[in-house]
Amino acid sequence: MNLFGVMEIAGSALGAERLRAEVVASNMANLETTRTADGGPYRRRLTVFQAQNMPGLPLQVASFGPAFGPALGQGIGRTGQAGGVRIQRVVTDTAPPFLRYQPGHPDADAKGYVAYPSINPVEEMTDLMGAVRAYELNASSVQAAKQMIQQSIDILR
Amino acid sequence: MPLIDSAALRLLGASLDVNAYRQALISSNMANIDTPGYRTRDVDFHKTLTNAVNDAESSLSPVAHKVHGLIERPDGNNVNADREALLLAHTQLRFRLSAQLVKGEFRKILSAINEGK
Repeated sequence: MNLFGVMEIAGSALGAERLRAEVVASNMANLETTRTADGGPYRRRLTVFQAQNMPGLPLQVASFGPAFGPALGQGIGRTGQAGGVRIQRVVTDTAPPFLRYQPGHPDADAKGYVAYPSINPVEEMTDLMGAVRAYELNASSVQAAKQMIQQSIDILR
Repeated sequence: MPLIDSAALRLLGASLDVNAYRQALISSNMANIDTPGYRTRDVDFHKTLTNAVNDAESSLSPVAHKVHGLIERPDGNNVNADREALLLAHTQLRFRLSAQLVKGEFRKILSAINEGK
């Protein structure tokens, strides 16, 4: 894995955090949704993060060594521990919907209660803020990798 | 002493290697800031470089280890964003320093060539 691999690691996190933000946005948009394709009210969705080894990236840091001397020619080994992240799956919250008494509502049951998704907007907002902060953190990591690559190129100038 | 394969260049090359590797680990830690059960990983910069200096014939082999003493969250993750951000800045500056010094070494060789003209 070279410095471009670092960008790929950070990129995987950017993608994962963006998906997390999308899921949160979907939860907030469907705060009052009582009808879905599966029937019943909308159910809150949650993302599950999983650490991953980057596929397609050799688990070795490309060495600067061969350019300078054969002594370092072997380069760096044992780098299998560095890897990115992915959203393993999006799960549905099992919390039961909460009922509101609205007899005039077309989705009301026989007793006049309408099932609404049990979503707490405050919880969703904090989750969204967490996603934004993590996104920023990984964006700074991309920036750092970019600068380091630029500096390697500058050696040639 | 060979000109291109000098001890200084070898050391600087090793330093670039270790910093690039450390950057990958920091990036990995940052990427997994929300992964339950993930543990922070790091490499011992000084030890790896000292080994490279003392034993010039062996290949550079930094080993990632788990960092102890960090506060663990209830989900088993112990990544500290501030620690990683600080280390990122450190690693970047060290990399830059090494790159600049490599540049300087080559410039010296180049000036030696040019002075001979």
